[in-house]
Amino acid sequence: MSEERKFICVSCPLGCGLTVTLDDSGEVTKVEGNTCARGESYARSEVKDPRRVFASTVRVKGGKLPVCPVRSKTPAPKGKLFDITRAVAALEVEAPIKIGQVLIHNVCGTDADIVASRDLEAV
Amino acid sequence: MSGKIDVLIIGAGPAGVAAGIGARREGAENVVVLERDWDLGGILQQCIHPGFGLRTFKEELTGPEYMHRFIKQAHEEGVEFRTNTMVFQIDRDTNTVWTMNKERGIEALNPSSIVLTMGCRERPLGAIRIPGGRPSGIYTAGTAQRFVNMEGYMPGKRAVILGSGDIGLIMARRMIWEGATVEGVYEVMSWPGGLRRNIAQCLDDYGIPFHLRTTVTKIHGQDRLEGVTVAEVDDKMTPIPGTERYVECDTLLLAIGLIPENELSRMAGVDIHPVTGGPVVNDLLQTTNPAIFAAGNVVIVYDLVDNVSDEGLIAGANAAKFALGKIPSTAKRIPVKGGENVRLYSPQFVTGKTDSIIFMRVTHPIEKACKVFATADGEEIYSQRLRYARPGEMNEVKIKADKVQNVNSITIDIQPV
Repeated sequence: MSEERKFICVSCPLGCGLTVTLDDSGEVTKVEGNTCARGESYARSEVKDPRRVFASTVRVKGGKLPVCPVRSKTPAPKGKLFDITRAVAALEVEAPIKIGQVLIHNVCGTDADIVASRDLEAV
Repeated sequence: MSGKIDVLIIGAGPAGVAAGIGARREGAENVVVLERDWDLGGILQQCIHPGFGLRTFKEELTGPEYMHRFIKQAHEEGVEFRTNTMVFQIDRDTNTVWTMNKERGIEALNPSSIVLTMGCRERPLGAIRIPGGRPSGIYTAGTAQRFVNMEGYMPGKRAVILGSGDIGLIMARRMIWEGATVEGVYEVMSWPGGLRRNIAQCLDDYGIPFHLRTTVTKIHGQDRLEGVTVAEVDDKMTPIPGTERYVECDTLLLAIGLIPENELSRMAGVDIHPVTGGPVVNDLLQTTNPAIFAAGNVVIVYDLVDNVSDEGLIAGANAAKFALGKIPSTAKRIPVKGGENVRLYSPQFVTGKTDSIIFMRVTHPIEKACKVFATADGEEIYSQRLRYARPGEMNEVKIKADKVQNVNSITIDIQPV
């Protein structure tokens, strides 16, 4: 018995409708509906190890803004996103902050780092 | 800086920063970008989610990261920025731009050319009629985005989102990540306003219900929002009796459309297009005042910031050419017309001096193979097959200058094949 899964590709603004066929052992046998190689790799990752880039803010001490935007440098496991939200919410960082500065290494035991996504001067 | 300003750009969002770069690269000496905020980058500084610049940088950046790269380039190119500087008047006869700044006071600037890059604003609650009270807890999605992402406040704990524009979808996920619940997204049209991928990654990922052909028909609450009534609508967008439902919430976010911000353009006396809400422009992104150019969401609301930056570069370069006396005033004005299924488009004229892209949106979705095309005096000059066409996703018509040298008018459209 093969299984078919349908979802929208989120790799780019086109939003192609993907259909992925899996065999009995859960291996991908076919990807359809994609219009580029990114879609194919997204489809394969989405059925085995779905990941998303996480983006939020951290509280800032002495900065020109009270919060600084952050992101996971690489996509993080989807199932860990809410753990990551809590880890990021608990963090407070002192200004100045540089874009790309690593604020949490391997957040929540994933292989993703949380980095600042803007420069933020101190006041 | 001393001496006359060659190109003066109003607004340091993605269009304005790119316009500065474009103007300097074209050889303009004194290029100044005015920005009313203390910071550069415009609204992208609050768009902290990834999804920007895939085409330009071959990777998906957050808004602040995208602007960081452009601002760095602009500094390297020698663009001058004046922050905390508000333009409060443009005189239409002399093109004098009046500015206000705490240190510099009030100044009257007389540049050789101007680029309008003021962006757009969100349609507010007042733009749609919803009966009921006006308690606190009702915000445009972008205002809520600013609260959460730049000021560190949550607007509420239990949200309903009216309209399915991209900012609303992005804010649905943002609210969830910050611990709030989102009761649903309600869209009056039969199709989503935003990109499909945002429905997938912002709503479907978190099980947020998405209701098409449904709208908010009543607001409940005195001081603070307590709930809304939602109802399905018929083909005329009239609520269908008997379908009303009460949804408890303390926050209502509006993602019901964006409007080009043209208060200054009107003062400057440039023609405003009744459908786009932005200045009428030609393929040089020149308005009906030859010294004034315009680019980005002030002209027509784009889906992608890459397009906004591209248009900014073009407008800046042409404004520089104008300042340097390189654009003849005798340029042709070949009108572009929209066909049956075209809701809006820009530019509305081409000169034939350059290859150009006409950006357009369809009125009605076509969910099957179709083609976007252009004809010049009845002859096809561009055609591109599409798998579908949707109002929420902009289409492009590419016009080659050599195809329009001896034509009287151009028509663009999208039709099933």
